Amino acid sequence: MKNNIIEMTRGFFNITVAVNGEKKELAVRNGEFLLDALRRHGWKGTKKGCDTGDCGSCAVILNGKPVLGCLVPAVAAHDGAITTIEGLGSVREPHPLQAAFVEAGAVQCGFCIPGMILSSKHLLDVTPNPTEAEIRKALDGNLCRCTGYVQQVAAVKNAAKTLAGKGKRA
Amino acid sequence: MKNIKYYAFPSTTKEAVALLLNKRYKAMALAGGTLVAKTLPETVETYLDIKNVPIKNIKLQGGNLVIGAGATFNDIDLSKLCRGWAGGVISAAAAKCSSQLIRNMATIGGNVARPHSFNIFPVVLLGLDAKVRLSSRSGARLVDFQDLYSSGLGLRPGLDSLITEIVIPGKTRKWKCEFVKLAKTESSWESYITLFFSAEKKGKGLAQVRVAVGALSPKPFRAPETEKVLLSGAGPVAAATAFAAELDAARAGEYRASAAASLLKRFAGSI
Amino acid sequence: MDAKNLKVVNKPVAKMDAMGLACGEPAFTDDVEIKGLLCGKILWSPHAHARIKKIDTDAALKVPGVKAVLTYKDLPRVPHTTAGQGYPEPSPYDTYTLDNKVRYVGDRVAAVAAETQEAAQEAISKIKVEYELLPAVFDTFEAMKEGAPVIHDEEDSKNIPDAKHNIAAKFDFEVRNGDWFKEADHVFEHSWKIPYLQHCAIEPHVTIAYFDNAGRLVLRTSTQVPFHVRRIVAQALKIPVKNIRVIKPRIGGGFGSKQEVLEDIVAALALKAGRPVKLEYTRKETFISSRTRHPATCRMKAGVKKDGTITDAEMEITLNTGAYGSHALTVMMCSGSHTIPMYRVKNNIKFIGRSVYTNMPVAGAYRGYGATQGFFAWECLMDMMAAKIGMDPVVFRKMNYIKLGEGSPVFKAMGEGREGVEQVITSTGLFEAIQKGMDEIKWAEKKAKYASQTGPIRRGVGVACMMQGSGIPEVDMACATMKMNEDGSFNLLVGAADLGTGSDTILAQIAAEVLGIKADDIVVTSSDTDITPFDVGAYASSTTFISGGAVKKTAEKVRDMIIEVGAKILDKKKEELRLADGKVVAADGASCPLSEVANTSLYYYNQHQITASASHFAHTSPPPFQANFAEVEVDTETGQIKILDYVSCVDCGTAINPQLAQGQNDGAVVNGISHTLSEEMEFSSNGTPLNASFRRYKILSAADTPPVRSFIIPTWEPAGPFGAKSVSEIGINGPLPAVANAVYSATGVWLFEAPFTPDKVLKAIKKAR
Repeated sequence: MKNNIIEMTRGFFNITVAVNGEKKELAVRNGEFLLDALRRHGWKGTKKGCDTGDCGSCAVILNGKPVLGCLVPAVAAHDGAITTIEGLGSVREPHPLQAAFVEAGAVQCGFCIPGMILSSKHLLDVTPNPTEAEIRKALDGNLCRCTGYVQQVAAVKNAAKTLAGKGKRA
Repeated sequence: MKNIKYYAFPSTTKEAVALLLNKRYKAMALAGGTLVAKTLPETVETYLDIKNVPIKNIKLQGGNLVIGAGATFNDIDLSKLCRGWAGGVISAAAAKCSSQLIRNMATIGGNVARPHSFNIFPVVLLGLDAKVRLSSRSGARLVDFQDLYSSGLGLRPGLDSLITEIVIPGKTRKWKCEFVKLAKTESSWESYITLFFSAEKKGKGLAQVRVAVGALSPKPFRAPETEKVLLSGAGPVAAATAFAAELDAARAGEYRASAAASLLKRFAGSI
Repeated sequence: MDAKNLKVVNKPVAKMDAMGLACGEPAFTDDVEIKGLLCGKILWSPHAHARIKKIDTDAALKVPGVKAVLTYKDLPRVPHTTAGQGYPEPSPYDTYTLDNKVRYVGDRVAAVAAETQEAAQEAISKIKVEYELLPAVFDTFEAMKEGAPVIHDEEDSKNIPDAKHNIAAKFDFEVRNGDWFKEADHVFEHSWKIPYLQHCAIEPHVTIAYFDNAGRLVLRTSTQVPFHVRRIVAQALKIPVKNIRVIKPRIGGGFGSKQEVLEDIVAALALKAGRPVKLEYTRKETFISSRTRHPATCRMKAGVKKDGTITDAEMEITLNTGAYGSHALTVMMCSGSHTIPMYRVKNNIKFIGRSVYTNMPVAGAYRGYGATQGFFAWECLMDMMAAKIGMDPVVFRKMNYIKLGEGSPVFKAMGEGREGVEQVITSTGLFEAIQKGMDEIKWAEKKAKYASQTGPIRRGVGVACMMQGSGIPEVDMACATMKMNEDGSFNLLVGAADLGTGSDTILAQIAAEVLGIKADDIVVTSSDTDITPFDVGAYASSTTFISGGAVKKTAEKVRDMIIEVGAKILDKKKEELRLADGKVVAADGASCPLSEVANTSLYYYNQHQITASASHFAHTSPPPFQANFAEVEVDTETGQIKILDYVSCVDCGTAINPQLAQGQNDGAVVNGISHTLSEEMEFSSNGTPLNASFRRYKILSAADTPPVRSFIIPTWEPAGPFGAKSVSEIGINGPLPAVANAVYSATGVWLFEAPFTPDKVLKAIKKAR
């Protein structure tokens, strides 16, 4: 049973976690939440909008589903796999969702966008051809004050088409 | 969180309960953590993560619907079994909990373990005569949800015991049910009131009815007078009047009483 | 003129910073690592009104890791305003970086900088404060009464018109043309109310103060007004402007809340500690201690003749400015100046405005800026009048709205801190906007269909029309600088503060259009007071119109310089040359690429850098116009309103970037719908905010948001760059009246108090029965 317990040493827990496909040994602070730990270790794409689990800017995909980084104790990511926005694509090689968000004009201030794109990614993983209602439901934890969600919903629809096309070709 | 010394992630119920009962660890069990991760009691020194404990399944067992305590709102929302049970009322309720990100994390067990007025499930579980299976020092036991939720039965789930299953009795499978969340907006965390109505027809009359009210306080309650009026076949208007009176007595306030009574009237009219 | 022949302007060019943001590139204020960064924290007042009798920081200073503790004793006492407005600001100078008096729950008491957040928090908890509690006042009408607690009793504040009666701003204005209501067949008088509303930019207020290698103070901050930040921080802390640099990185939304200069305290902490300090508001702090919309009671009285002539109109607006008078005068002025001219009033017009201090959170600039409050009243009143005289509300509006070439005495009388300017309407697409909206919502069909309904669920359609401004005439000024690079690309340096609106992109489009190149041949740097020229900042719907004007002038100067060199290269007369497709092109088809022009100028001919700067200000503020239509379903037994369809048709002149303009309008409208259905800050009886979180102060999510459809109605504004007017604010003003009018058409019940939550709606319905 000892194997299933990590003890805190000098204020830190040492955890093993795969971030964007790369295995990392991270020292996370006692009392630290995943959002803060990720930002502290350089994944700045994960944003802090409220720190109370209400805005979704800190969403990351943990073990296959989008979660609120500000509500997950960092230590609980131990043995897990995390995808942050940096793991999806880059300016040189964007993920189809990132491209679709840009193309649809869905990025205004952009603060909520990483979280929203990760929620969308999960949606399209499990529901490749979502209805508008399904998109809105999947994004209802990612608050945006700039856009009114119109272009973001359109972006997810467009990305679904792009991804479906890619699937066919492949 | 700042007093945490150990992070434990057992893989069986037995291990988890052993850790809870081991005085050395001062452990608290968490699943989604959406309710308590930010406000962990200072006395807790071990964060007991039940992510690997196999209590997430949703299954049929002995004619009953058994929902693992670790099933998330999203799991329940999407579960075919839940969607097919009592008109899908359990899934419908799960879908109305605040946001998708919360629904991905929060579990039904957490909703049962921590009474809050904004919890979605209690009013539904009360209305469906749910039972809760938990493991404690004295082993596994099955208790009435209502007893556990209202009195605690001397247990502190998460600290001295672990909720493992929610059992929805088979008799409710075909009940006509409705869950209403009356709130400012669809995705509001808080509601003015949540309502659970159910009825089972028998010939021209009703075999049973349930009228349960949530969100007014952490503890949901049934409206016995209203249920009686409904059973008596006095009609929707009489039921609504009785319901308004009961809500009034429960200090629901004019708006809640009036709106909820109207909704009950509609439900009664639709039976 | 129209936008037909434009090549870059009026096209959906992708927003330049969008891909970086979508990929999570570190772009925002807090996305950098600064060595030795301290954490700043503020001790906030738990009392609505109190004097600090004693403040003891000894224990706080002893907390390990604490590097600075500040109270009012440590700072110069400089009355100033936090309103980030042009100098001299029309807001009263009634604020001190720290004071010995607190005026609302959430006011600053003291500040701490420490090595860690935990240490800062601990130090905050160890500051001992002895308060003398003072009677507090929370209601504007109570606050104006004789004997009410005086919130600004200090002697050194400036420009408070009547501190004794808690009046932070007042203005009265009347056009008299005969006896009041003499010609009116019907007279109406009602009051409409708007509560405390917060901007809810998803990025909280955050600033990092650090020092450059010369020891100058650098403020990397989420602001809409970098140049005003530099000036006001210099003023408040008594340091020279030259010793401050303000950098505006990418901003996570502002909506007016970041037109507020709150950076003084973190600057003071950094100066005291001699170390970099970050101050990031929590969400709760952002709700309570940044800024809000001014709550308002707007009483309107108007007369109408049976034939639809509006004879008289009187607006009395009482704004709650909270504890400080930030934007107190100007929001009040805009509540009348942006609304009353919307419709012709035949005889008499009166405006009575008061901004009143209370012991409540501080109001400030918020998208819509007073017009939101004014139009709620005016547009609902329009429907009341139409209903009474039996005229379709659309027909009634069409008959009365301000037409091309028409002016209003209000334009001249009501400016922002000084007299306004005379102006007439030089472009309007309101007629077309109304027609388009009626078609899209199926106005006539739905009106007929919903005329006879039974049962508890009722449907209805409603309309509202609005206008706004485009910058503050003869106040707002912007400057741009361009320089040419070897490859024929350009750097465009602007003071204009892109806070997520896409202004960098549309400004590049304007320059590219002038220079005959693609927008992505322009590299935009916005808002660094050391690098970019002055701009008042992103507010008052000014960026497209004012900053866009500056960019166009700058690009035209650059174009002339290019042609000068091109003429030499091609051996042609300048008059024969134009710029197109990245080349200088002669009438006979001869051409040379811009890269050749650049290299020639840099290395061969009359060696010089092709570069220019130009400033722009305007004598008018051409209003954009909108027609909004809402279709609603009201559950008359639960009070729930469901918006089934919402159509917003906007005339913003030429949309420089139609996709971004649509995004601006969608966002404004949905923010307005959120105001309409849900938002309201709640307070306890002692002024403590009760719902300062996204959980309890509910803004609409994607699932809550009804279908919203924005349509751009193209017009050409002669005073604007390529025919453009503003677009960013106007859309927020429509939902309250459009939905209220739709609810009336569905139920026959008027709603006077925002938000239209189910409990209030049901109460109104029951009262009407």
